[in-house]
Amino acid sequence: MTRLSVLALLMATDGLAAEPLKLWHAYRGGEEQAIEAAVKRYTDKTGVQVELLSVPYDAFSSKLTSAIPHDAGPDVFIFAHERLRQFHRLKVIAPSTGRLDRSKYIKSTVDALEVDGELYGYPLSLKTLALFLNTELVPDAPTTTDDWLKALERTTDPSKPRFGLAYAAGDFYLHAPFVFGFGAKLFDDTTGRATFDTPGMAKSLAFVKGLQDRGFLPQEVSGALVKSLFNEGRAAMVISGPWFTGEIDQAVKYRIVPLPTVTETGLPLMPFLGVEAALVSARTRQPEQAQALAEFLSLGEATALRVNPGRQIPAELAAYELTEVQQDPVISAFKDVAARAVPTPNTLEMAKVWEPMKLALRGVLQGEVAPEAAGQLAERRYRALNRDRPPDAPKLPYAIALVVALAGFAFWRWTKRGPAQAFARRYPEAARGLAWVSPAAVGIFVLIVIPFVWGISLAFFHHDAGEYSFVGLANFTDILTSKGYRVTEPLSFWFTLAVTIAWTFVNVTLHVSIGLALAILLKDPLLKLRGVYRVLLIVPWAVPNYITALMWKGMFHRQFGAINGLLSALGLEPVSWFTQFSTAFAANVITNTWLGFPFMMVVSLGALQSIPQDLYEAAEVDGASKWTQFRRITLPLLKPALLPSVILGCVWTFNMFNIIYLVSGGEPGGATDILVSEAYRWAFQRNEQYGFAAAYAVLIFFVLLGWTRLTRRLTGPEAA
Amino acid sequence: MTVLATPSAVNRGLERRVRRKGTPAETGSCTLPRVSGLRLVGIKKSYGDNPVVKGVDLDVAPGEFLVMVGPSGCGKTTLLRVIAGLEQVDAGQVLMDGQDLTPLPPRDRDVGMVFQSYALYPHMSVKQNLAFGLELRQVPPAEIDARVAEAAKMLELSHLLDRKPKALSGGQRQRVAMGRVIVRRPRLFLFDEPLSNLDTALRVQMRGELARLHRQLGVTMIYVTHDQVEAMTLATRVAVFNKGVLQQVGPPLELYHRPANTFVATFLGSPSMNLFEARRDGSRFVGQGFALEARGEVTGEVKLGLRPQDLSVAADGPFSGEVEAVERLGFDGYAFLKTAAGPLAARFDGSVPVDVGQQVKVKPLGDVVHLFSADGAKALWHPEARR
Repeated sequence: MTRLSVLALLMATDGLAAEPLKLWHAYRGGEEQAIEAAVKRYTDKTGVQVELLSVPYDAFSSKLTSAIPHDAGPDVFIFAHERLRQFHRLKVIAPSTGRLDRSKYIKSTVDALEVDGELYGYPLSLKTLALFLNTELVPDAPTTTDDWLKALERTTDPSKPRFGLAYAAGDFYLHAPFVFGFGAKLFDDTTGRATFDTPGMAKSLAFVKGLQDRGFLPQEVSGALVKSLFNEGRAAMVISGPWFTGEIDQAVKYRIVPLPTVTETGLPLMPFLGVEAALVSARTRQPEQAQALAEFLSLGEATALRVNPGRQIPAELAAYELTEVQQDPVISAFKDVAARAVPTPNTLEMAKVWEPMKLALRGVLQGEVAPEAAGQLAERRYRALNRDRPPDAPKLPYAIALVVALAGFAFWRWTKRGPAQAFARRYPEAARGLAWVSPAAVGIFVLIVIPFVWGISLAFFHHDAGEYSFVGLANFTDILTSKGYRVTEPLSFWFTLAVTIAWTFVNVTLHVSIGLALAILLKDPLLKLRGVYRVLLIVPWAVPNYITALMWKGMFHRQFGAINGLLSALGLEPVSWFTQFSTAFAANVITNTWLGFPFMMVVSLGALQSIPQDLYEAAEVDGASKWTQFRRITLPLLKPALLPSVILGCVWTFNMFNIIYLVSGGEPGGATDILVSEAYRWAFQRNEQYGFAAAYAVLIFFVLLGWTRLTRRLTGPEAA
Repeated sequence: MTVLATPSAVNRGLERRVRRKGTPAETGSCTLPRVSGLRLVGIKKSYGDNPVVKGVDLDVAPGEFLVMVGPSGCGKTTLLRVIAGLEQVDAGQVLMDGQDLTPLPPRDRDVGMVFQSYALYPHMSVKQNLAFGLELRQVPPAEIDARVAEAAKMLELSHLLDRKPKALSGGQRQRVAMGRVIVRRPRLFLFDEPLSNLDTALRVQMRGELARLHRQLGVTMIYVTHDQVEAMTLATRVAVFNKGVLQQVGPPLELYHRPANTFVATFLGSPSMNLFEARRDGSRFVGQGFALEARGEVTGEVKLGLRPQDLSVAADGPFSGEVEAVERLGFDGYAFLKTAAGPLAARFDGSVPVDVGQQVKVKPLGDVVHLFSADGAKALWHPEARR
């Protein structure tokens, strides 16, 4: 008996020494110091070795989901609760049900860890929104919205100007408290589907719009503006999270209080709650020790370390009894705030709410949509983005059609074959020729033919969570009939096509006219510093276009952009570039024109220099003015050189993804998206509808094919 | 001058309007009634520090065919471009019928020009090329068609009207370039070495056509060439230029027979006139290794000029030397000798045997000696028969 227990003990210690627990996190700075210190305490206490690994945040999630199923992952890791359902589905996390003591944590933080009735992990810290008061301007915390409005009325002073409130109102994360406060539910209780068109939603939007209309709230607020307004005493109150404390100047006296209660409903404005949890891997070989480590990190000493030096808001209730916490006005304040917060749903449905809500919110704030109609707008966008799965199509007719098409093509080629002649006679060195051609042929096959066929095939499938189903032409018919939204809405293929054509036409026109004008100026051989100008004008072309795009995006910024700076210096109103279609489109066009004219200039310059000077002299003697010479001599003689560049420029511009994506990003509401960027969004930002996106790509292909056939017909006789 | 220019411009405008409204019979007619004279006064032109035309005064009479000739770089083409308005003068005036053209751009000068390269518009058909200048002057379409057809007929281009220039031969292009000027009926025709890009046979043919054209149209033409044969055959008067200076102007034969200086003397005539330094010694002129009987009252140091055509290889003569080269042209030929006085070219009869390396003698055929001042700048004496 004694011998056995000694043996068991030996084995256990041997096992411990051989395999330390692995803990992965994405912390930096004070938070990283806190976790290191906590782990050291744990090892000192239990003798269990822990190996810490700090993983960059961007790669963290994908690293976890790929490493854990292959037993290469950590035993314990720290992650935000929003991903719980995904982790649960991929079976990378083990439940903590039964082990976790609910009474030790703030209730909402435990609620956040629930997936289908099971709890996963241990809550460590939380993030949510609170009301920051400048105590010199607002000594008493408003408890109801009526109080709040009075305080706003009192503190708002257009002459300074000072605003009662500042927060990034266009962001749905910051609007959510109002949605819940006015009694709206984001999801249907029975179906779990997102709902937008509700009275509560309309009231919440109307309330915020009212704040803005009465001047309590500045327009188009960004995070940076909130910071400067609050620090300069030009915003009496701010809605923000714990991260904001780091941005407040020392001199500003402030308090953090829960958001007020809506007088009308009696419900508090309930913000979203994000919880960081210590999660145990489903594949750990030491589940006991791993659970023990995760729990240890969430309680007691570890919590104290998280408060200091970590500066996190702890989820453990006991932490708020610590004198250190009670003396810290920031952290202690968040306990009350968190009690009212609603855990951000970890459902897939939640991911589908952001884009429609953003659309509705911006529409209301910019005065384009009435609050009552905004819910419908969001609902329509939601329905459009989350297409119903088209019914499965029978495969046989498509297979027959494919075979017939291929056979028809083969027959057509056969009837068009050249005169009968033995292959070996026609190509006496076929073997050598094939050897020379094969590397290029293989390259073309692998890089072009396979992706092309793959892409076309994909357009006949519907993708949902990793599963593909054959739907025939449903993707195409949905696109072409703009099913689910009107033709005039930005989501419609036809609307986007019109925008794309306008985009291409305006750009190419500007590229050619500016390029040609500059080429004519540069052609003059007597121009001084000609070489310098030429190099300078080619520079925009030489800089990678995404860098240029980001530079211009910065210059178009409403508040800090150079262009609005220039406008203000000239005494003009600054333009909010990305809130209207016309200005957002113009911003895209300006950026792309900057990028596009050098090419046309170089082509024009080359072509201009090949026109003999004596043609102009002859025309001058014939009686032609400069303008007539340009119109009757220069333009017709440039045409052969310029036309292929124009056609090429059209194709490039038609598919100019970078500029649209980086400069306007499709704002407002996707109206400035062109076909390629729209296809990208369907594939990667809207529920991974790869088949739908592939159908877009096929349609783009046919549009461009038609365009090149048309231009070839137009230029054909000329070229011949 | 400006006072004079104004009424003239008004007249011209009136004239144009009258022409436009003219009856079809008038407008379709072949005659070109407007024959203008040109006067160049003190024309100077430099490119940077390089003077190209150094003060030229020249009168061109109405209906004249003036050929400007000279070696490359003598300023003749520049002068033509100045007349056309394609170059601005540094000093001087271009006057047409008394009107000052100097400040006017080419399109307002009512001149036509045929370029050395033809400068046909490559994207236009022959017909469009011909009609271009008329379209710009807003001539009614019916009249354009009539004039184009007329010019095409004159130049035998009627069957080529729909072709593009690149589908034409060199001679055809040349004719289109001329046609482009003819249809416009300008007051002055300018030609810039129009035949230099053609082969010899075509050049001879086109020369004939140009002469015919001048006779037919009767207009004032100014023609630039470096080819003395064109100058001699086409011109009513020839102007010889050298280094931006007008050397002499006059009818071709006058220039040939009575050149004003040694430059003109050597430039016209092929092979060039022989020149020797000589000194009067009694009734003879004595030079290095020769002594020649000559008339005239000229004394002292001179340049003595003898055309090769006026010399003959003979059994005896004042010049002797070794034959260095022979050009046989069949009926006769030229021998090129090295004499004590310098190189000498002399004609010889086809029947006389002359070979390279041979020592031969050369004698002048009668009274043929030209005398120039020692620096060559001034003619002192021409043979009496040629005065």
